[in-house]
Amino acid sequence: MSNPWIAIGALALVAVVIPVSMLTMSRLLRPSVPEQGKRAVYESGEVPTGDTRIRFNIQYYMVALLFVVFDIETVLIFPWTVIYRDAVANVGLARVLLPMLAFIGVLVVALAWAWRNGAVRWVRSPRTTAQRVDRKS
Amino acid sequence: MIPLQSATPLPSAIAELLGLDPSNPAVLFVLAFVAAGAIVSVMLGMTAVLGIWGKRKITAAFTDRIAVNRHGPFGLLIIPADAVRLLSKELIVPEGVDRPAWDLAPLVVASSALLGFAVIPFGNGVQIADPEIGLAYVLATASIASLGLLMAGYASNNKYSFLGGLRAVAQNLAYEIPLVLTAASVVIFAGSLQLSTIVASQSETLVSLGGVAIPSWYAFVNPFAFVLFMAANLAEVGRNPFDIPEAPTEIVAGYQTEYSSVYFVLIYLGEFIHIFLGGAIVATIFLGGGAGPVLPGIVWFFIKMTAVYLFTQWARSAVPRLRIDQLIEIGWKGMLVLSFANLVLTAVIVGVIQ
Repeated sequence: MSNPWIAIGALALVAVVIPVSMLTMSRLLRPSVPEQGKRAVYESGEVPTGDTRIRFNIQYYMVALLFVVFDIETVLIFPWTVIYRDAVANVGLARVLLPMLAFIGVLVVALAWAWRNGAVRWVRSPRTTAQRVDRKS
Repeated sequence: MIPLQSATPLPSAIAELLGLDPSNPAVLFVLAFVAAGAIVSVMLGMTAVLGIWGKRKITAAFTDRIAVNRHGPFGLLIIPADAVRLLSKELIVPEGVDRPAWDLAPLVVASSALLGFAVIPFGNGVQIADPEIGLAYVLATASIASLGLLMAGYASNNKYSFLGGLRAVAQNLAYEIPLVLTAASVVIFAGSLQLSTIVASQSETLVSLGGVAIPSWYAFVNPFAFVLFMAANLAEVGRNPFDIPEAPTEIVAGYQTEYSSVYFVLIYLGEFIHIFLGGAIVATIFLGGGAGPVLPGIVWFFIKMTAVYLFTQWARSAVPRLRIDQLIEIGWKGMLVLSFANLVLTAVIVGVIQ
């Protein structure tokens, strides 16, 4: 049995070489007419205002944290799913299933907490809420 | 008769055919390089036909139009014309872009999508490599693309791109876990992460209806998981109803607003190859890989892949787009809970009937 990662490495090389060759081909073909006007970033035809690199919502941090928790959990679930059928045949259903149910149960409690806490709710900016109130009055 | 899944991956099979020693790493690398080049070329060809020409024809059929029909038979010659046109466009570098990241993002999007095809069993033994953790590998490579999308969005110095990049990440994070958990519920049946083993375990007959044997494809064994996976897959490839990272009516083109010329081609290519990779994963773990009557396995595999692609195009034309807050709610409160329920129920049912 040969090592499969050698072949995967070969494909990775192909996957880099083909896009790079396309870049090179385009570099040979395309014109270059530098002008000041066309380098402006697109903002629906207006002159760009303000900076793009603004501070963004803290909510992304919460969602990312939640994602890390659940992603690690899926990594831990994978080996269990692989051995599941053999293990049930060997040591019985309860000893295989119950620990994983307890593990998933802990995570579901965490998800319920995040849900109630509003971590997975997309917050509106105060400005849109204010505009909505203005319209009603 | 050719076996549906040969035990040896394609490079080793070629080595034996040519009388070379497959245990020599250098020989294996060269042969794998050739095989990989062939498979990547086929994928690029599929993108050229289905991405440039097919997409316009399908959308036109849905909206009662004709689309391209002037260039050659059925307008097929639009493919080389478009390829040359796009590659020979001037590359406009906007002011204030974050240079290395802006240049690397299209490469990351295109290359990472191709990487996953290393372990896909196309049927008839056409498979470049068959590692034991194949399913984990293919899911991992499929999710690298969101890194490229964030790079593209953040480096472009454009507010639409920035919004698109952030939306892409929020969406891919929310739908990655349902995707992986649903795939894990398939592993419970198959008992292996090796993709060739997963395909082989779907070849038994599930039930016989009036003389027609229904194979035990996991889409038939666990249709609930299949529906969940298709929905999560739509979100992962960013197609309607989950196409809010691009959302042309809201944020121009999302993360690819500032890209032109060959960089745009690479992002566009990467997206389409990503859809095909999603289709290949669905075909492998839910639709029995290359299994099917009469036609050879590899043809069936491409039919199934194309069917999943047509499904995304159907959704694109038929389903309205979600709002970002609805998308996050469906992801974290709906899909995640359902995929946990699917995993636990599958485990209980498999354990009880065994």
